[in-house]
Amino acid sequence: MLTVDFMNVGLNHYLVLSAILFVIGMLTVLLRRNLIVMLMGIELMLNAVNITFVAFSHFNQMVNGQVMVFFVMTIAAAEAAVGLAICVSIFKRFKEVNIALFENLRG
Amino acid sequence: MSVEVALFYGLSFLIIYFGLGVLMNPNPIKAAFNLVLTMVGVAGVFFHLQAGFLGGVQLAVYAGAVMVLFVMVLMLFDLEKERDAFSEGFLGNALKLISVGLVVSLVINSVLLSSDLQSAKGPGATVVKDAEITKKLADLIFTEYIFAFEILGVLLLLVAIGAVAISRIKGGTHANS
Repeated sequence: MLTVDFMNVGLNHYLVLSAILFVIGMLTVLLRRNLIVMLMGIELMLNAVNITFVAFSHFNQMVNGQVMVFFVMTIAAAEAAVGLAICVSIFKRFKEVNIALFENLRG
Repeated sequence: MSVEVALFYGLSFLIIYFGLGVLMNPNPIKAAFNLVLTMVGVAGVFFHLQAGFLGGVQLAVYAGAVMVLFVMVLMLFDLEKERDAFSEGFLGNALKLISVGLVVSLVINSVLLSSDLQSAKGPGATVVKDAEITKKLADLIFTEYIFAFEILGVLLLLVAIGAVAISRIKGGTHANS
């Protein structure tokens, strides 16, 4: 049976918060057309996953989850750097960063 | 309502409000500033969950470095010509919204129905100090996860070189057209 306890904040509350934030990021990637805003949506999704990791690590008293968050943050920074570099080179070619232009990326 | 509960709901409101700001705002610069505030909210959640080191790293790396990268790239571009902020097509967008709603409802339902998660009660009476957790984190990174840590260093070097190489390409993939 679904019983929601609003007053005692536990693991479930953090997981639901993370799910909502993940969905907001996913919608940003699906609905926006600007490539940079889509990258921001990916950052939102990664942050939602980080909240899940930290919540599990807190409530299970294991620090291993926090190590994973550390790695995820590093990968996210690297991914943002590469994505923005591709944005810059697309912008130099087409003077715009709309996702519709990416069908021209043939090699 | 205790302070902890109020803090959780306040931070959740902050995160969701500014996250929706990233989604809804047609202006990319304003979306970037909303993203900064979302990151600050996530850092607050980390502090609230006794992950002080990660909260600090979140503030420094995301709200600092990554956001400066985003805003600087946005400033390079001409924002006056911003058009088609959202993808078109009523049916396609409706399908996207429905599928996303299905995903979130499935996740939330499975979270609420799982009895294992209900039983995880957290640290409770044993109050762990933030510094001890950070020390444990350092121990883990430099013993058990040392190989991953080193690989990450190599990856960051590759990415730094790759980003410079990509943005220096002249003429693009089909310069003749």
